[in-house]
Amino acid sequence: MRIYRAKRDASHVYVKSKYNILGFISSGTYGRVYKAEDASGNLHAIKKFKPDKEGDVVTYTGISQSAIREIALNREISHENIVSLKEVILEDKSIYMVFDYAEHDFLQLIHHHSQTLRCTISTAVLKSLTYQLLNGLVYLHSAHILHRDLKPANILITSNGQVKIGDLGLARLSAQPLQPLFAGDKVVVTIWYRAPELLLGAKHYNNSIDCWAVACVLAELASLRPIFKGEEAKLDSKKNVPFQRDQLLKIFEVLGSPTEKDWPSVTHLPEYPSLKRLDPYPNRLYDWCQSRLRSQAGYDLLRMLFIYDPDRRLSAREALVHPWFLEDPLPKANAFASVASNQIPPHRRITQDDAPSMSMTIPLQPGQSGNAANAPGPPFPQSQQVLSGSSQQAQAQAKSGHSHHTGTSGSLGDAGGPTVYGPQGHGQVHGTTKLRKKPRLG
Amino acid sequence: MATDFWASSHYKRWIVDRATLKQARADDLVYVSEPECLEFLAIYFANIISKLGKKLGFRQRVIATATVFFRRFYLKNSYCETDPYLVLSACCYVAAKAEESPVHIKNVVAESRALFSQEQYNVKHFPSDNSKLAEMEFYLVDDLECDLIVFHPYRTLLALCNKDFGNSNSSSDSPAEEAEAGELGTGIGADDGPRYWGTGQGQLELSEGGLQTAWFIINDTYRSELCLIYPPHLIAVTAIYLTLVLHTPTQNSIAHLLPYSPAFNSDSSNSGEPSQTTPHPRRSSRTSDSSSKHANQQDPIDFLANLNVSLSAIATIAQEIISMYSLWNRYREDVTAEEMRNMNANANMEPEKSSPERFCIRRHYL
Repeated sequence: MRIYRAKRDASHVYVKSKYNILGFISSGTYGRVYKAEDASGNLHAIKKFKPDKEGDVVTYTGISQSAIREIALNREISHENIVSLKEVILEDKSIYMVFDYAEHDFLQLIHHHSQTLRCTISTAVLKSLTYQLLNGLVYLHSAHILHRDLKPANILITSNGQVKIGDLGLARLSAQPLQPLFAGDKVVVTIWYRAPELLLGAKHYNNSIDCWAVACVLAELASLRPIFKGEEAKLDSKKNVPFQRDQLLKIFEVLGSPTEKDWPSVTHLPEYPSLKRLDPYPNRLYDWCQSRLRSQAGYDLLRMLFIYDPDRRLSAREALVHPWFLEDPLPKANAFASVASNQIPPHRRITQDDAPSMSMTIPLQPGQSGNAANAPGPPFPQSQQVLSGSSQQAQAQAKSGHSHHTGTSGSLGDAGGPTVYGPQGHGQVHGTTKLRKKPRLG
Repeated sequence: MATDFWASSHYKRWIVDRATLKQARADDLVYVSEPECLEFLAIYFANIISKLGKKLGFRQRVIATATVFFRRFYLKNSYCETDPYLVLSACCYVAAKAEESPVHIKNVVAESRALFSQEQYNVKHFPSDNSKLAEMEFYLVDDLECDLIVFHPYRTLLALCNKDFGNSNSSSDSPAEEAEAGELGTGIGADDGPRYWGTGQGQLELSEGGLQTAWFIINDTYRSELCLIYPPHLIAVTAIYLTLVLHTPTQNSIAHLLPYSPAFNSDSSNSGEPSQTTPHPRRSSRTSDSSSKHANQQDPIDFLANLNVSLSAIATIAQEIISMYSLWNRYREDVTAEEMRNMNANANMEPEKSSPERFCIRRHYL
């Protein structure tokens, strides 16, 4: 194995030698996302999976199921409305997935309208975004991929108005499962976007859970707030999935209580007895749409995507040819085509990463790496020293505005040297990224 | 697309030719007396993967995926520079995740150590530390170029021959899976399968035993490197063809449809044990006569002829499978220590004895 390892390590292309890290975008349970640019100036988002255990010493702990999924599925697919994976770099016990950069996402667009512009998203934009979202979903579903975590934060938009479905970390192939879908993941889809059959404990489900999530997203784009903003009941100490009473009530308040007539199979679901104990509600989706969608066809699409019975719910393919997309304004390939440039949401904010995991460590010589891995204290001790040592320099750079080349431009083509580069002076201006008080899948 | 073979990483990047395979073994060739030894190695390691997979409770498809990972890894690397036991253990670990039936890394380490330390393998150096296997996983995934979705002939077999397998658990090995025809053409999904098969007569009814035999033939192909050379659906069609020829009950049931059936009947005493069968040379002329078919029974020759696949490719793969079986018949794992010493003495011992991997390969195979 020594020969093999030496050979592989010698031929390894390091993230830092290929990409200039411009700043930190966001973090989640999976790890952190960085904005980066390659040698020819193309922008990328680099998703770094954090090693499973965050102990003092980072060791190999096995690649997570979520990372394996996201990598495996992304390698097989290619579609204009799905974020495209450029490459995967496995290095330093971490996985770096390099994606094409997307400047905006649905959540940011919603915030921009609700907080900055204080007006609704125009029907032209709303329809273009929904159409492209469905278009991407048709592709995923025809490839037998369930996304299982569609929500505004996971749906990206490029600066030229193209929708890109992102984050396949919960996605999986639905064709020929060796194990039932629920076996691997007891809970799927963020609570506000979770379909009623999932809330009622269905063990078998299909594409239609993604269609429900699309309807929730469409409603959220139209009203600028989540349509079913329920409180999630947390797993108990034995990790049993509780009855999601509040979320179901939020749904029923708009859509009315489901009846056995329009959802015959509901009686077989595990939580059906709990469901029967809830108060009945009338359907007031039509009223809800009156002030928000302002289109009969738009209401009809939403109604069809919100059908309780998963077998009768509109599929993505059917939704794509819904009359709403045939009436004016027609959906556009550039969702922002009709938007004045000052109305387009601002560029994604990036900040200097306060955790040193992606700051300017450089690849160590093979002889040194053992040393670093065994050193006590936080990972990447070298970079920490640099951070504290040159903080003055960093602040000076931050004050003078952008100087993102100071950090790594020198590392291009000079990967092996023992020099430690300073941190990037970038992004301190904005402070931290806007905290998203959105529920996440744990 | 993840379910369209022609657009898959499997088809685009991992179907290779014989020359590539030969090139991949060039470094190892130095250490063996006969090139055939390396083919024995391919059988040997596939057997271990299968054993380890069964200990870990894997389904057949997970074992098959692990085996394909192992073969792909050794397209880029040589046995002599790596530790194949660690590699195959990592293949099993990754395959379980890729097939959505993950097992804990510590189980993989424990089962690997238990299995490899048995006398027949006598591998004492397998690391007890999870991180060593996890490190190998990193290198492995990198060498696999992150292409982790693998197509297998099982799917085509079930799509072609098992009309209502969704309801019947016909064999312990063939899972009750959803019918899927996507492997055979661009953009063919489960929904438009029948359209592709044309007349709606697209399925061949095999008996349970026949289906089982075809399934076993497919299992056996993983002992060779066929999974790197041919698209899985062609291997599946070949397995069906070989079943028609070699499986006695299936053969008897279609005998009256075949013009030269007596010639075939005389040679099919070893049904159900394809590895023991010495196949009789085939007559290609029989494909011309399909007019004599029984009115009510489906003609398997028609079925094969109407598939939109190259029959000459099928014939080639059939030959390859048969030569794999004859190689396998010469292969034995139960060589005694005495015999091994003799063989070692005969082989030219190179001075790299210090490398444990090299030593261990030589100890077993030369």
